[in-house]
Amino acid sequence: MRTAFLLFIALLGSGCVTSTVDEMVFNEPLAGIGDSTVVILGRRHASDYETEPDFIECVGDHIADRDKTIAVINEIDFINSLYPWFEPRTAPLHPEDINRLLEQEPVAQRMRELKTEYMIWIDGVTIRSDSAGSMTCGIGPGGAGCFGFGTWSNDSNYEAVIWDFTDQAEVGRVSTSASGQSYMPAVIIPIPIIAPVQGTACDGLGEQLLEFLSSEF
Amino acid sequence: MLRLMTSAPETRALAMGVLLLMLAACGPTTVKVEGNFPDPLMEPVPLTMGVWYPEEFANHEFFDEAKTRAESGWIVNTGDAQVAMWDKLLGGMFTEMVHMKGAPSANQMNPVVNAVLIPHVDELQYAIPQHTNIKVYEIWMRYRFELVTTSGDPIAEWTMAAYGKTPTAFLRSDEAAVNLAAVMALRDAGANFATSFTRVPEVAAWMDGGLPALARPAAEAELDSTGALSDEPEGVEP
Repeated sequence: MRTAFLLFIALLGSGCVTSTVDEMVFNEPLAGIGDSTVVILGRRHASDYETEPDFIECVGDHIADRDKTIAVINEIDFINSLYPWFEPRTAPLHPEDINRLLEQEPVAQRMRELKTEYMIWIDGVTIRSDSAGSMTCGIGPGGAGCFGFGTWSNDSNYEAVIWDFTDQAEVGRVSTSASGQSYMPAVIIPIPIIAPVQGTACDGLGEQLLEFLSSEF
Repeated sequence: MLRLMTSAPETRALAMGVLLLMLAACGPTTVKVEGNFPDPLMEPVPLTMGVWYPEEFANHEFFDEAKTRAESGWIVNTGDAQVAMWDKLLGGMFTEMVHMKGAPSANQMNPVVNAVLIPHVDELQYAIPQHTNIKVYEIWMRYRFELVTTSGDPIAEWTMAAYGKTPTAFLRSDEAAVNLAAVMALRDAGANFATSFTRVPEVAAWMDGGLPALARPAAEAELDSTGALSDEPEGVEP
């Protein structure tokens, strides 16, 4: 009875999400990446959006949690340790640009220390596409409460491009899109029923990247 | 029974304190930009570079451009962060970075360096989500750099843009977002400067003229002519 109630609450607490993932990879490391490392970086060139740092961290955590042998370098640590070469203005846009970076001996030395074999660039964003409904909240001597109904939808679109750092070539592209509708009915207490759109996109992308990088999946 | 154990002067002081607190609550919100700036990873340019931060640069701030400073609801102080970032960048970008004691001029005694860099923030623009309906905080700055000898003679002068933005985020305050956008703009300024300095035509021409002799202020040169500070080896015929 208690389990059924918890399941009901869990179902009530999350909205529906639909998600699709596309993948195209070459030269998959069948034996895994060994003691090399992977770095996942967000593209931040667009003027009207930024790939969320939280999303980059989520994908990295997904990979590192599922396969403990894969070392994922933290995005901020990587960018700081190679400043100013991975700022939005200076970051390489094509795999061929890596050569230009490695011409600088301090950069080449740092890359050797970090043992980075794969560099994964993620570009995309989660946006709230539309919303409707209204809610009124009030407070008085007898108590407080809300009444109304709100709904909104979120859309996530992300693309990950995998660069092989040694071969200085692009070895794969994975894209994911997810959308979901969230609801918030309120009768005295607002009850948010949130669709985990970004989380679903993170899991979808992370799973595909894991399949590429790991020998166990 | 509770009795107040205060004398008349203490009561006045207390009332004054409360009044000041109330007035302070009506003043503008001040955001002091703070951030950690990494050392640049690059081969140092073989120069001993002096740097002089003018007062308006070291105390740089901006506020609501539609109002005066006193009327603005908020003030963003970037001066300390500017100095921290440029100190870190120039310290790693050149063989040696030296702070000047005063603005370079013929009458100012300053340390011996190849040249002195003087940065200025000529223009700053910002956009917040309330202005643009885009959920991004943006800061754009135009810097002007003067490269001069320690005597103040111009070597080069050029401008450079820097841009920083940060998206709105759940539970992030406006102050934190503006701070982050400013830090991103400063990092961009450093990245732009580090990758373009030697490509500024006047700077490139100056450096192509051979590694410049360490420039010395005229005040020192005058002392040299009197022999007081002469570094010529004794007994050497001119």
